[in-house]
Amino acid sequence: MDARSLVKSLHPLEVKVLLRYGPGDRLDSRRLEAELGYKEGHSNQAFSWLSSKGLAAEDGREARTVYELTPLGREFAEKGTPEERMLRFLSEKGPARLPEIASSLGLEQKDVGSAFGILSKEGALSMDGEKRAVLAPERPAAEVARPRSAVVRDLIAKAAAASEGILEESTLDEAERAAMGGIARKRGAGDAAFRAAERERVWYRLSQDADEVVAELKSQGVTGDELGAVTPEILEKGRWKDVAFRPYNVNAPAARLMPGRRNAYVEFLESVKDKLVSLGFEEFDGGLVETEFWNSDALFMPQFHSARDIHDVYHLAEPAKAKSIEEPYLSAVAATHENGGSSGSRGWSYAFDREFTKRLILRSQGTVLSARQLPKAKVPGRYFGIVRCFRYDKVDATHLSDFYQTEGIVLGEEVNLRTLLGFLEMFAVEVAGAKEVKYVPGYFPFTEPSVEVHIKHPVLGWFELGGSGIFRPEVTEPLGIKVPVAAWGIGIDRMALMALGLNDLRELFSPDIESVRLRRAKNI
Amino acid sequence: MPKIEVNESLFFSLLGRRCDASELEEMLPSAKAELDEWVAEPDPEQRTIKIELNDTNRPDLWSTAGLARALRVRETGVRPEYPFFSREGAAAPATRKVVVEASVREARPYLAGFFVSGKAITDAVLKDIIQTQEKLCWNFGRKRRSVSMGIYRSAGIEWPVRYKAVAPDSVRFVPLQGDRPMTLTEILREHPKGKEYGFINEPHKLHPLLTDSKGAVLSYPPIINSNDLGAVKVGDTELFVELTGTDLVSVALSASIVACDFADSGYGVEPVKVEYPYDTAFGRSVTFPYYFQVPVSVEAAKVSKLLGLPFSVQATRDAVERMGSATESHGQYVTVLPPAYRNDFLHAVDIVEDVMMGRGMSSFEPERPRDFTIGRLSPIETFSRRAKGVLVGLGLQEMIYPYLGSKRDFVERMCAGEGETVRISNPMSESFEYLRSSILPSLLGSESVSSRAPYPHGIFEAGKVAYRNHIENYGVSTRQRIAFLLAHAEADYNQVASQVATLMYFLGKDYSIAETEDPRFIAGRQARIIYKGDPIGILGEVHPRVLEAWSVAMPCAAAELDLESLLA
Repeated sequence: MDARSLVKSLHPLEVKVLLRYGPGDRLDSRRLEAELGYKEGHSNQAFSWLSSKGLAAEDGREARTVYELTPLGREFAEKGTPEERMLRFLSEKGPARLPEIASSLGLEQKDVGSAFGILSKEGALSMDGEKRAVLAPERPAAEVARPRSAVVRDLIAKAAAASEGILEESTLDEAERAAMGGIARKRGAGDAAFRAAERERVWYRLSQDADEVVAELKSQGVTGDELGAVTPEILEKGRWKDVAFRPYNVNAPAARLMPGRRNAYVEFLESVKDKLVSLGFEEFDGGLVETEFWNSDALFMPQFHSARDIHDVYHLAEPAKAKSIEEPYLSAVAATHENGGSSGSRGWSYAFDREFTKRLILRSQGTVLSARQLPKAKVPGRYFGIVRCFRYDKVDATHLSDFYQTEGIVLGEEVNLRTLLGFLEMFAVEVAGAKEVKYVPGYFPFTEPSVEVHIKHPVLGWFELGGSGIFRPEVTEPLGIKVPVAAWGIGIDRMALMALGLNDLRELFSPDIESVRLRRAKNI
Repeated sequence: MPKIEVNESLFFSLLGRRCDASELEEMLPSAKAELDEWVAEPDPEQRTIKIELNDTNRPDLWSTAGLARALRVRETGVRPEYPFFSREGAAAPATRKVVVEASVREARPYLAGFFVSGKAITDAVLKDIIQTQEKLCWNFGRKRRSVSMGIYRSAGIEWPVRYKAVAPDSVRFVPLQGDRPMTLTEILREHPKGKEYGFINEPHKLHPLLTDSKGAVLSYPPIINSNDLGAVKVGDTELFVELTGTDLVSVALSASIVACDFADSGYGVEPVKVEYPYDTAFGRSVTFPYYFQVPVSVEAAKVSKLLGLPFSVQATRDAVERMGSATESHGQYVTVLPPAYRNDFLHAVDIVEDVMMGRGMSSFEPERPRDFTIGRLSPIETFSRRAKGVLVGLGLQEMIYPYLGSKRDFVERMCAGEGETVRISNPMSESFEYLRSSILPSLLGSESVSSRAPYPHGIFEAGKVAYRNHIENYGVSTRQRIAFLLAHAEADYNQVASQVATLMYFLGKDYSIAETEDPRFIAGRQARIIYKGDPIGILGEVHPRVLEAWSVAMPCAAAELDLESLLA
């Protein structure tokens, strides 16, 4: 036992017991009540805490019966018992009929009747010829036993004066016990003045270890009267100048709070946005519903080619088509598909369907917004978006039907394969924290050349971070762009799962309040 | 993206050498391919390598021979010769002929074919051919719609072969995996391949059919071969290969790819002449395999500019040739003559990528960009972050939800009708059939699964909603909104009204309140939020009927505001 640290964890209720008593004292709550002024609850807490620290131990217990004043009993204590009030009434007002007594005293007739019964049996009252209750002539006190009604009256008065309205059976004399037997029914009838209850009286004794703790208390000058909470009153009156503060148990576990908080996944997405902004990129955004035109045609994906199959899309039921497609882009894109238009391409050699291109779908790739950005882009310019996309996929741990894609473009005369690799390297190092980077040729219908970037992540190992390339002239020319445009997309979901300690993409969008509240993000 | 399985020993013999996994992994990127799995198997003849091909525009790489050829040429610089190709105005002599009848023009107008001989078909080669057929016809041929392929034992065929269209009940033959003669209608109805691909022919009155000159059926394109002439077995030495389809270029390219694969594997390829009764892009009489590639040119300076590294004419030619094309130079221009099996040179930039791969990625050092640009978040993102900051300060937890959901969640449980909610016409499942038009169902969805989370609950999301709006060109508006919901025993209108007031105060927006009747909220305990005269949001106590629909047994008060209107 380390007395020093034990002392810190003692409550003033314990301290006072330790300082006052020694191992020779047999203690119970009544003793603490009498000598330390503890309430019964406080005494029990003190014994329980001391016992759990090994500073006190139980030293026997005994069962006892107590009589507790009921609410009715308290009313009698205040106003007098019906018998008492009836005697007083008759001595003041003279003989009276029972109903008259009841209405005058505000008692029920049956209570007056039973009071009369008791008093007449005791010889204090009798009924005259006019059915009136009259007081019996006084008799010398020594001649008769003390009437029970008087005993009861005294018990009520005694109990009302006792702590918590309780009388110990052991303190009653024989007459009192007999009287109590008549008025206190066991286990609570509401119409009796007392309720009888079984109580256990538990005795404690301080242990030998307490000596050491007491010595420590004394050496530290702890009295148990130290201040608890700092209150405005203590500050106003300057009481803190005279009394020490009680040390708290700083090792006690802190209570849980439920603060307002950002969502960990959203914070992760925002951290990626902030990094891209720091690399000179301006954010773009757009509608969730798109046309086949912007989603695929503007990206030079032929309307009936298998390349289109890799982007299976959701179609809108109503409306199913856009009213129109922006010109001159529609005509320029259509010509590019059919014969290359002015792009220098030979095109896909088929008849472009100008109705199909108006079909409304849910955006299936972030590159749509890159294409839309082109006509309004500055040169040089860098743009990005982390945007919600929709795929015709079965939802499971690795596929979602809606999810975020991180995409962007770079416009400028300096754009070429090597500067594209330079951007990919920046993303790998700055955004993904990669140590090693590797580039391999890739394939995307709208870029040529195309490059994939693979990174060695400190935790995840090698994986494909993203795809990129230089937009085909068939994409840029019809939208009026004359400079090379690098297009890129990076997959950040695996990093998000790692940062959030998850392994199922569905968890990123969890509706469960408790799990979202408790979620923490690392390394962002 | 196609994945192929190649027989190890066949692959090594076509590659011209053996290699191990790490060597293969080094080589594959030049074909935009990745090693998926090298299947362990004690018998070397049975060992296979699984490889994933990423370029959907290079069907020539989706076979053992095609992939091995690309890797071999890049390594050795030696391009194979294929002397059997005909060209415009220079048809190779052909002893065999297919006569196309005008009746097929509507359903499936094009056919290409050639004859294979010289050595017996082995088990590995047969498996490989079947795989090539599957990949070509499924991925490139769009599930056999634009290209399908048939292979026959040539021995029993009486030439010339006839390609015609017939009424589906007028012909019977025994299909592969069949045990009795069936009409075309019966095949479509009962045969597994008929059920799978019948949709291609069903719209047409007359269905394509390939027979020999005596009327014996070779196949019913693109569904099934006959069980007789169309059943190729290990040991056969003479084969007839045909491809039919709706797009002549795709059909001819596929024929070129398969012919070159056979040639690389050591078979002889003999041309077959196809006579059309109608005009095609290659004329009425076309001898296949047919070379139709058009030369493409690029200036060396353009290569240098796009790759960021100086390339001379010669350096450009060297790199391109390693990728399988022949080249010529004309001054500063390099002209590429693509091989017969490649049809992916649409533009000069396609040459640039071949230069990149022919040279190898390791030759290109990343270069730091020098242009100066200013990065910035979009105004709505910045504004949303401000609003979210206020709500976090009010003790609310930020959430994020899917935008797709079920009719039950986005419509029925809100007890307010479908309104302008956007529905998907081809949902994959009922669970993802609607696009949300409000954030409130998402928040209530959280409540419905979170009754065991200690109360009080206060949650919010800033995100997109979309709803039909006839004013828009697309008929749909997408808006950025913020919504929040309180759920606890004392949640009520006054609390949410105070929170709206706090949010608007710190966003610096003056607003007013107007009475409203929205069935999602309790009458008399709800209000519109009016900003600059327009309704831009709503707040109130969620109606118990809505809570009951969500199985929520805790009072909820909520608000939703349009952030874009507040920003405008």
